[in-house]
Formats: sequence, structure tokens, C-alpha cells
Amino acid sequence: MSATTGPSAGMPPEVPRAAFTPRLISFFSGTVGLVVKVALLSFSNALAIWAGYVLAVRHQWIGLIVLVLVTAAIDALYFGGRRVLPLKFLIPATLFMIAFQIVPIVYTIDVAFTNYSTGHIASKSDAIQQIQLNSLQPPANGKQYTMGAARDAHGNLVLILQDQAGGATFVGTKKGLQPIPKSAVKTGALGITEAKGYKILKGNELFSLDSTIRALKVPTTGHSAISAQTISTAAELEPTLRYDAKGNTFTRITDGVVFRDNGKGSFTHGKQELEPGWKTGVGLRNFGSILHDPLVSGPFFRIFVWTFVFAVSVVFLSFSVGLLLAIALDKKGLRFQRLYRSLVLIPWAVPGFLSLLIWQGLLNDDFGVVNRILHLNIPWLFDGNWAKVSCILVSFWLTVPYFFLVSMGALQAIPVELTEAARVDGGGPLQIFRKVTLPLLLVAVSPLLIASFAFNFNAFNNIYLLTGGGPTQSNQPIAGSTDILISYTYKLAIAAGKGQDYGLASAVSIIIFVIVATISAVSFSRTKALENLN
Amino acid sequence: MKSRKRVAALLAVVLAAMCAALAGSVKSTVASSKAGPTITIWADQDRKTSVIQLANAWATARGTTVNVLVHDFGKIRDDLGTVAAAEAPDVIMGAHDWTGQLAANGLVQPIILSAATKKNFPAYTLQAFSYGTAVKKLYGVPTQIENIGLIVNTKLVKVPKTFAQLETEALAFKKKKAGNLGIAVQQGTNGDAYHMYPFFSGLGGYIFGVNKAGNLDPSDIGVSNPKFLKNAWMINKWNKERLINSKLDASTAQNAFLKGQAAFWVTGPWNSDTLKQSGLKFTIIQVPKIRYRSVPFLGVQGFLVTKYAATHGVESLAQDFVANYMTTADAQGTLANASGRWPANIAAGKQFKDPVLSQFGKAGVGGVPMPNIPQMNSVWGDLGQAWVRSTKGAGAEKAAASFKAATRAIANKIG
Repeated sequence: MSATTGPSAGMPPEVPRAAFTPRLISFFSGTVGLVVKVALLSFSNALAIWAGYVLAVRHQWIGLIVLVLVTAAIDALYFGGRRVLPLKFLIPATLFMIAFQIVPIVYTIDVAFTNYSTGHIASKSDAIQQIQLNSLQPPANGKQYTMGAARDAHGNLVLILQDQAGGATFVGTKKGLQPIPKSAVKTGALGITEAKGYKILKGNELFSLDSTIRALKVPTTGHSAISAQTISTAAELEPTLRYDAKGNTFTRITDGVVFRDNGKGSFTHGKQELEPGWKTGVGLRNFGSILHDPLVSGPFFRIFVWTFVFAVSVVFLSFSVGLLLAIALDKKGLRFQRLYRSLVLIPWAVPGFLSLLIWQGLLNDDFGVVNRILHLNIPWLFDGNWAKVSCILVSFWLTVPYFFLVSMGALQAIPVELTEAARVDGGGPLQIFRKVTLPLLLVAVSPLLIASFAFNFNAFNNIYLLTGGGPTQSNQPIAGSTDILISYTYKLAIAAGKGQDYGLASAVSIIIFVIVATISAVSFSRTKALENLN
Repeated sequence: MKSRKRVAALLAVVLAAMCAALAGSVKSTVASSKAGPTITIWADQDRKTSVIQLANAWATARGTTVNVLVHDFGKIRDDLGTVAAAEAPDVIMGAHDWTGQLAANGLVQPIILSAATKKNFPAYTLQAFSYGTAVKKLYGVPTQIENIGLIVNTKLVKVPKTFAQLETEALAFKKKKAGNLGIAVQQGTNGDAYHMYPFFSGLGGYIFGVNKAGNLDPSDIGVSNPKFLKNAWMINKWNKERLINSKLDASTAQNAFLKGQAAFWVTGPWNSDTLKQSGLKFTIIQVPKIRYRSVPFLGVQGFLVTKYAATHGVESLAQDFVANYMTTADAQGTLANASGRWPANIAAGKQFKDPVLSQFGKAGVGGVPMPNIPQMNSVWGDLGQAWVRSTKGAGAEKAAASFKAATRAIANKIG
């Protein structure tokens, strides 16, 4: 009797069927893989060429150059062979990181050195054009006309005008007004429709000449001139400002006041400013105002301390409770284990944005469900200190699922032999946790703790949606009790002064970035000490 | 073999790319040679249908085409500053308090209306769309007016003729049952200076004073002017009586009124459908005079011509649509019917028959248009917070100190 279970003679040897993944990979190697690769590369190249055409039509040369470089890089990479194999896996993520992280950061740094804000978003030439347009006003006894653009017998562009007050009819040219008999002109619903001796422009011919028609100014008396306003009306206007291109100044015609370019993006004369201004570089002025402007520098330290405390508290509390839950629910053979784990993940069921708004309603002092059901009278959102507690508690509620999952994963990675050995050596559960489990856990989780700290340092949603920056005090009416650096920046830069100040917001954002980067870098270098344990 | 495969692959790639490129460029050239110019209009979702109808009627009469794009109303003002010129609109719908910021950014074109057209509109609606530090120019054509009013549940209380009567009735109603409110006016953690404005103006407050030339003067901030401070003690009294509670937010206030837990509600015509469908018997009045007339803020909405109309070479057409067509009584009436707001054109207003909206209109008589200068941005948050601090019940600050702090903050921010 043979105890072996070898194959009986005559049957081919059984080859074990490979697992799914290797089979999938081998399916896509060879011809099939090549075809797929060619198809995908064709698609991306076609997309690049079409996008390049669109960019070229709009004269976006920088975008075009970047597009060409990126497409060439992708092509070289996927046709490159073995040497560039690692790059194939790095390039997509790197490209996305550059597009969505590096580029916005570079742009923010650029904006921080400009005066980009309300009243300073146009280019200088646009601003000068608008100032001139805005300075036109009807003179005393200025008239308004029904108008029809026409060509005279020589083919020159003229305006046929009828005074809306008196009914007198004229033909207007660069040289001035000339009366023409009223009988020669017929008007209709769309302005002047016929004029004897002139060909009234209609339809596309009229529409395509719009800029030329609007540029035709018929001089009347003094500085006044008649120009087209709508497709069928014209008005007599006189400028109140005169632009001197050589001297780069505007002069007010009535009293000769001169407005000069003040180097900060506007034409000014003392305190008077011509609007609009334009966007220009202002060097370190935004950073300077962080130090000198009492609005920014006054509450800075208090807000910074609260931001730091908030971030540390949320991370510490969420990690502690998340770890505790992970350990408690890790027991083998625990009944309803899956149910408990799902319950812990409930805070993630609804998008954070909605949860925060719902919590704002739940925690309302007088009308919220929390105070009603628990028969409490706690001023959750309208008292300075309690609002801080509310912010920490709600953010903690939102972050626990994350640390629960992370801890669960990290706990599985700790070899069972170590804890068993420790138990054999006579360690109690708490000792085992402190000396064995926690250090090994921290090695894996420290980067995540630091990342979560950085996230909560800038948790704009968590603060702004819940308390709006918190109840304010009369002695500090702008910076509320729960304002963190980023929400205070928002209040100053977006809802302040003369509209929105993006330059200042960008400058403060960079400062916040430097703070967070410093803290993170220091923390990362310190956690290297934990690596030595292994 | 490998290099042949590679060449074949490269060739296939390049060929495919060129086909796509050709297709793309052909499509682009075909698209750009269409007949005639197009006016692009940004309208919001609520008024899209009537704007499309009106714009098409105008375009057919003029022999041109119009393209109405839906754009979130709250984003139009800011997006206009960042949109690329090729996709920018030529005409936008807008609120009058955007005028200052848009004009200061150089994004809108001045509009000249004939004297005859101007007579068709109440002066304040044209003022609302006018702006200028040196020369005041009109930048928009008003089409709709709105303002908040005091909704009184006539089954629960009598319509008050004086503010003292309002106080007595509201407090008596509040005492009747636990959970009843005095006046349901929304504030919340962020405050709401807009809804609190009737109370503010009734006590003598104003936002910006008017200088000799008739323009708003941002250096004259009236948030804690002497007349207001003299009457500020009333806010402390209201707070003690819990007549006004700053912890009420918008949905709580609405639900309280609809469920009969509040007899007085301060809200605007955007809730007129909700009111009509609630089945409650109500009257809408202006908040009774406190020490001065308790006038609400007036909001005017209309159309503006953007600077991109000039860039696109269609400015005369865009101006014609806004200044000649949208000012007519017919166009304004159509828009008003579709959007549930009172039309700005006086003739259209006479033909507009909606009982709820006409009550709102009467509640706005004497109202103040919201200041449209960019400095107004600084005011909302601080003024709202001043009310929140002084009406939050236990632990509320004294109104005088609270509003003085708000004035300091606003002055600091305006600089």
C-alpha cells in the first residue's frame, strides 16, 4: 500500500494554478500590454496636442511650454526601457504633486509680494482706460441723441444723430456736427433707420465695427464730444481728467489737481485716489504690516497659542481614545466586533462640512438638542471658554475614527511573540503596554501624529463652521475666542478694509506655513530617536 | 525585434495624435466662424428661465444671438474678477451693493440713461447702482427691489401700532408657554446685521454718513453715534426681558414662527412662498417706530455691463440690452413675475399684483439702500457681532460698550 499521494502513472503532472494577480500581470505583458500602452499614450498625446492648440490660440506661451515638456517627459519615460523603470511609478504622483501643491505654493508666494486686492486687480493700461471712461460726465446742457451709424458717399464712417429733446438732426464726423434736414432722416424702434445720402449700417456689418464706432468722437463745444452709448443712442460727454502719458499723471481739468502714480498701484493726490488701481509688486510691505499693523500683530500671539493648544489637544485626545478603542475591540472572539467597529466609524458617515453645521445647531445654547436632552445650561457656543471646549470636542469626534483605524492597523503589525515574551517574563498588562506596545506603535504612528497636528493647525472648517471664529469680546472685537491663525487671516483679508486683500492673506499664509513646517521638521527629527528601538 | 516594436508603437502613437489634433483644430475653426456676435449673460438659477426668454426676445429683434449661462449668484461678484477674458460674460445680474467693489476693480462699464428713462425709476434705486469717488456714475440698471418686514401672526396677537405695544404683546405671548419666543429675528453665532437693521435704525444708528456732495463718507461711521448711544439702554432692557435673543439662528426662527411658538418674525420676500403655504393668517408691517423710524435695508438687484463687453467688441449691443430693453416696463414685469420680487420700474410696479409682496413693499417705505461702497465689507461682521454680544442673555455685554468696540474695529479695518 502506497502512503504517498503521487500522481498515478499516465496522467500529466498537475501544475498548481497561479494566484490571480500574477496571472493578471502576465496577461498584460507581451502584445496585449503593448497595445494598451500604445492606446493610452496615443490618447495622452492627442489630448496634449489639442490642448497645445488651444493654448497657442490664446497666446498662453508658458502653459504651452510646460505642456510640451510634460508630454515629452511622459513619452520618453514609457518608451525608455529598463533604466527609467522606477520613474514610471514616481512620475504620475510627482506630476500631480507639482500641479496641485507646488504650483499653488509658488503662486501664493508671488501674490504675497504684490498688492493684489480690491481695487488693484487690473493691469495698469486697463486701469488707465477705465479711469478715463469713468471721468466722462455730461456737461451742463449736455444733449442726448438717437443715433444711427452710417457711411457717407465717400465710404467714411459717420454718425447720424437726432437730438432727443428738440428733434433736430445732424451728421456727426471727427470734425464736428453738421445739420441735415429733418425730412431726410427716418427713425424707428431700433434708432435711425434711414438717412438720405448716407448708407445706414445694419446687422453684422454694424456689430463687427462696434469698437470703431465707439471710438468715433464728434467734438461739440469746449472739451465735450458726442460718442455712441448703445447701439441706437449717443450722448454728449466731457472728460474731467486728462491723462499725460509721458509724465504718467492724471490732471483734473476743473482745478488742475495732478494725480501721480504713487508706486503702490494707484494715482493719488494726497488722500484722494483715482479708481480703479492696478496690481503691482510692493516688495515686503505685506510682511511688514504683519509686524506693524496692530490689527494683525496685536492678537497674533494669543491666537497662535490657542491654535497650538487646539491642534495638540485634538491630536492627543483622538489618538488616546482611538488607541484605547482599538485595543479594546481587538480582543479575539469578541461578540459583535464588526458592529462595534462600524459604530466607531459613524463620525465619518457624513461629510465633515455637514457634520460641523449640524453640530452648530445641536450645541446651540438655548435651542440646541444637547442642552435640552441633558438638561444642561452650558453656553456651548456663546461663551469664550466653552466655545473653545466645543471646538476641541467636535474636532475630536471627527478625528477619532482616523486614529482608531490607524491604531488597529499598527497593532496588528506588532509581533505577538514580543508581548508573549513580556508576559512570560512577568510583566503586567499596563507594563507591557508602556514598555513594549506603545514604543513600537509610536514608530509607525508618529508621522501620522505629526501630519494630523499640521492638519488641525490649519483646520479652518472645524473652527469657522462651528463658531465663526468664536464669540467676540468688546475689548477684542475682531479676533474671537476660538479664532485660529487661518480663520483670523480670513477675517482680515477677505472681510475687511476696502474689500478683499489677497496679498496680505498670502503673506500670512506663508508665515503659517513656515511655523507648521518648522514644528513638523523638528518633530520628525525627534522621532528618529524612536527608530533606534528596533 | 524590440526596437521594431518600439518604432511601430511610436508611429501609431504619433499618427493617432495627429488625427486628434486635426479633428480638434477643424472643430475650433468651424466654431469661430459663426455668424454674428453673441452676448453672454450670467444669470442665477432662480431667474434663468425668464432671463432666457427676455434675452431671446431682444436678440431676435436685434438680429443677434445671446448665450445665458447660469452662475451661482453669490459667486458672480468675485468670479468676475478672476474669469478669463475669453469666457467672461458681457452682462451680469447683480446686487446693488456689489457696485462699489466692481467699479473699484474696473470691471463694469458706466451706463448713460436718458432723462425719460430715469423718470421711470425711484431715485434711490438709481442711486443704489451709482458709485464714484470723484464723479458719480451709474453702473447698473435696477430691476428688482426687496426689503425685510415684520410678519405678525394675526391669530395669536393684534397688529401693533407702536413699539411699546409690540413689546407688551411679544412678552405676554412669550410668558404664555415655555418655549415661546419674543421676536423671532435671526442672528446666530455669526450675527446678522442685515436683519437687525430696523432695530438699529429705530434707535438712531446709521452706517456711513453722507458728505456735502451727497456721497457716502467712509470716515463718518454712525455705528455708535451720540443719538444711538443715548438710546442704547433699550437694547439692555430688551436683553433682560429676552425680547431679542441672539442665539436664534435662521432655521430656528422660521420654525418657531411656523409652529406658532413666535408671533413676530423678521424676514424678507424670499420666504413669501413659505408664508403663503403655511396656512397662517398674517400681516406684514414695518417694525414700529422706536425713537426714529425703524426702516429696513433696501436691496436692489439689476443688470450690469462688464468691461469684457468692450474687450469682446460687443459693448453697444450689451448696453442696448441693459439700458434700452431691460428698463422697459414689460421686461421688468416679466422678470418680477418669474422671480417673486417687486419690480423697480414704477409702471411695472403698478401692474404687479401680489398681496404679500405689496405688503413687503409698504414695509420698506423710507428704507435705506445698503451702502454700496467697498468699505461696507468691513461693517457686516462687526455690527452683527455687536448685536450678538449685547443680546445673548446672561453674560451679555452692555450695548454701549459693545457698539463702541464695533465702531473702533470698523474704523481700524477701513484704515
